[in-house]
Amino acid sequence: MTKDAITKFGRRKFLKYSGAAGVAGSLSGGLAGQVMAAETIHFSAWSAAVDLVKSHVNAFQKSKGLNVNYSNFPWAQYRETMVTRLVGGAPLDMMWVSDAWLPEWAEAGWIKPVDGFKDLMKYNAEAEKFCTDSMTYNGRQYGLTYYTDFMGFMYDADKLKKAGISSPPKTWDDVTQQCLKIKEAGISEYPLMLALAKESWLIEFMAAMVYSQGGRFTDDKGMGAMDSASEGALKALQWVVDAVHKHKIVSPACVETGELTGLKAFASGNHAFALEPKYRMRHLNDPKQSKIAGNVKQILMPKGDGGSHATVGWMRFHGMSAAAAADKRRAANTAKLIEWFGGKADGEYKFQKYLFTDIGAGFGVKPLFNDLDVQKAYNSYTDVNVIKKQQALARKKDMVTPWFGEWQEVNGSAWQSAILQKASPQEALKKVTNTWNKLKKQA
Amino acid sequence: MAPFLDYLIYQLSEAGTVAATVASTLSRRFNYDERSAYLFLMPVMAVLVLVAVFPIFYSLYLSFFDLKLTRPHRVPFVWFDNYLTLFADELFWGSVLRTVYFTLISVTAITVLGLLIALLLNETFRGRRFISAMLLVPWAIPYVANALMWKWIYDSGYGALNGALLQMGFIDKYMVWLGDADKTIPLIANAFIWKEVPLAAILLLVTLKSIPDDLYRAAKVDGATLMRRFIHITLPSLRPGFALVFIFETMIAIRHFDLFFILTEGGPADTSHVLAWEIYVETFRNLSFGTGAALAYIMAIVTFFLAYSIIRTVGKRL
Repeated sequence: MTKDAITKFGRRKFLKYSGAAGVAGSLSGGLAGQVMAAETIHFSAWSAAVDLVKSHVNAFQKSKGLNVNYSNFPWAQYRETMVTRLVGGAPLDMMWVSDAWLPEWAEAGWIKPVDGFKDLMKYNAEAEKFCTDSMTYNGRQYGLTYYTDFMGFMYDADKLKKAGISSPPKTWDDVTQQCLKIKEAGISEYPLMLALAKESWLIEFMAAMVYSQGGRFTDDKGMGAMDSASEGALKALQWVVDAVHKHKIVSPACVETGELTGLKAFASGNHAFALEPKYRMRHLNDPKQSKIAGNVKQILMPKGDGGSHATVGWMRFHGMSAAAAADKRRAANTAKLIEWFGGKADGEYKFQKYLFTDIGAGFGVKPLFNDLDVQKAYNSYTDVNVIKKQQALARKKDMVTPWFGEWQEVNGSAWQSAILQKASPQEALKKVTNTWNKLKKQA
Repeated sequence: MAPFLDYLIYQLSEAGTVAATVASTLSRRFNYDERSAYLFLMPVMAVLVLVAVFPIFYSLYLSFFDLKLTRPHRVPFVWFDNYLTLFADELFWGSVLRTVYFTLISVTAITVLGLLIALLLNETFRGRRFISAMLLVPWAIPYVANALMWKWIYDSGYGALNGALLQMGFIDKYMVWLGDADKTIPLIANAFIWKEVPLAAILLLVTLKSIPDDLYRAAKVDGATLMRRFIHITLPSLRPGFALVFIFETMIAIRHFDLFFILTEGGPADTSHVLAWEIYVETFRNLSFGTGAALAYIMAIVTFFLAYSIIRTVGKRL
């Protein structure tokens, strides 16, 4: 531009037009940003199977033409991080949610039901009942499965053989008798491994024992039933206390043994029986990681008097944020991503299958049990039929409520007090029940 | 649009007048050097106000609300209810007692061991410098690493402590350590002491070095024995060092969290449920920020008065 042209154009005009251009630019940029933001799905998860998630996200972007902004955070800090982000209004459409947080997140209005999307609800027909139950709160369903698993009962076949035991236990009484036999034979000082340290696994171990003994934590009205002798948690806790102090078949160190430490102890050959998450079977029968590889078998959970082979199942699912649900277009896009991960992608349960074959994470959709790759993978370290049967007997945690976290602090301490003989099982569970009813009243 | 612009111009001119008045008052009250000094200090002060002063007052404000992050739509102002609820809670008083127990055994052991090591290092002998350097190793290890190390040592299944004691013939089978309610706090305190003794030893050693040799020589001439010299010269002269160790270690012990988190998570049962753990559980697990803030304030006030009373007693004649 020559000096003459500049003079002709004029300083005022230049400022006027450049100002107008700036305003127009920022407005159009803002609008474009909004349009872009509307088309971008913000997806948060914990740091698990990151590469697999990324590749599945890429496939979704190519297939549906929608952008996905994927971020992940360590599991240990995930709940706190997400709560902070949800409270702070960070952009969020789809997220991984644990069944334990569903009631509090739903009550806070951070996640919204997805049962209005027919494309998502059609998958319930093929999902395990406890999975759908675990994603349901107050009659509304909040997502589709990401991963599911259950507590399993495992044994070291070699140790049972050495002790002259021909068939594994079917009831908790059988467990006691077989443990005593193994102990007397000097094969293991504490034949049963129970990991009852204060950590997030504790409730899963407790619930598995309570359900298999025929108990439950809450009654039909949602009131605490833990201290009920006939249908509560008393039988299970009494069994543990007897196992530690009367029969001495469970180590008194169980109160300081976390799930991972317990796994290592069982894998080192210190015990004959263990209560462990089912997905640990792969680790236990891997010669690189376990001294008892090849000998570990899974059976149905032993049952108590009047109990069943029931166990506890847990559930992690893909949920939709309230912000996404409030906007029709955003909600529709998010539902597509939920389906891509939690339902079928290109006609197959791809993500759940890859998650299982890659890292051994369980799935909650029954048709995958018929998949030949899945069967082959399972049968390489366990019996797929036992897994299928036990999974069908898994139950959701009936104590998961908005006050679950607070109650569990008291519950964990109470169980440990009974195991340490600082309180009787009755006293411990009375305290737990009273706390439950008090928190329920306050909620 | 025009009235808005007029209003904006008016407000700006008003602000300009106020700024000019403030500037003129400041220039009359402070000279150029003082103004420059304050100007340079301002950024740091602003950061401090933002990250230290503001949270202190804001958390006090929060402690008067029933603020639960998972219930964002109902945050009632409850006056002192959070404090009163805590004072009526059995678990709170239990955690206070356990904190006092942990602090007492930790600070006592740290002071005694620190003094013994300082006395040793105050002597001249071969390898003294090497021992001094080695002494700093536990202090240099981060708390989390220290806790993980002790978790491994104390493990009842494969821990080094059981292995060592069994090999030396002190025990005939593996023992339960952290899972034994009677041993939990002393064992956590042991891990804490191991980490903190070096600092106490160094603080006391520095004080020891400052005691004039003349005092000891004069006492020797007067026929004072080693014990009398220790009681009448060393101990009184160490008072500033003791005050420092008491205050510093008491404050750290009361607020200590890492070892409780990694070793026991407050268990077994409530055995290691101390105040710091209670604050963590209330704030970050239960997401009850109101009660958490009230608890933190109680701890801050207790720590302040403890430090103050130590200064008033031990450090009286500093």
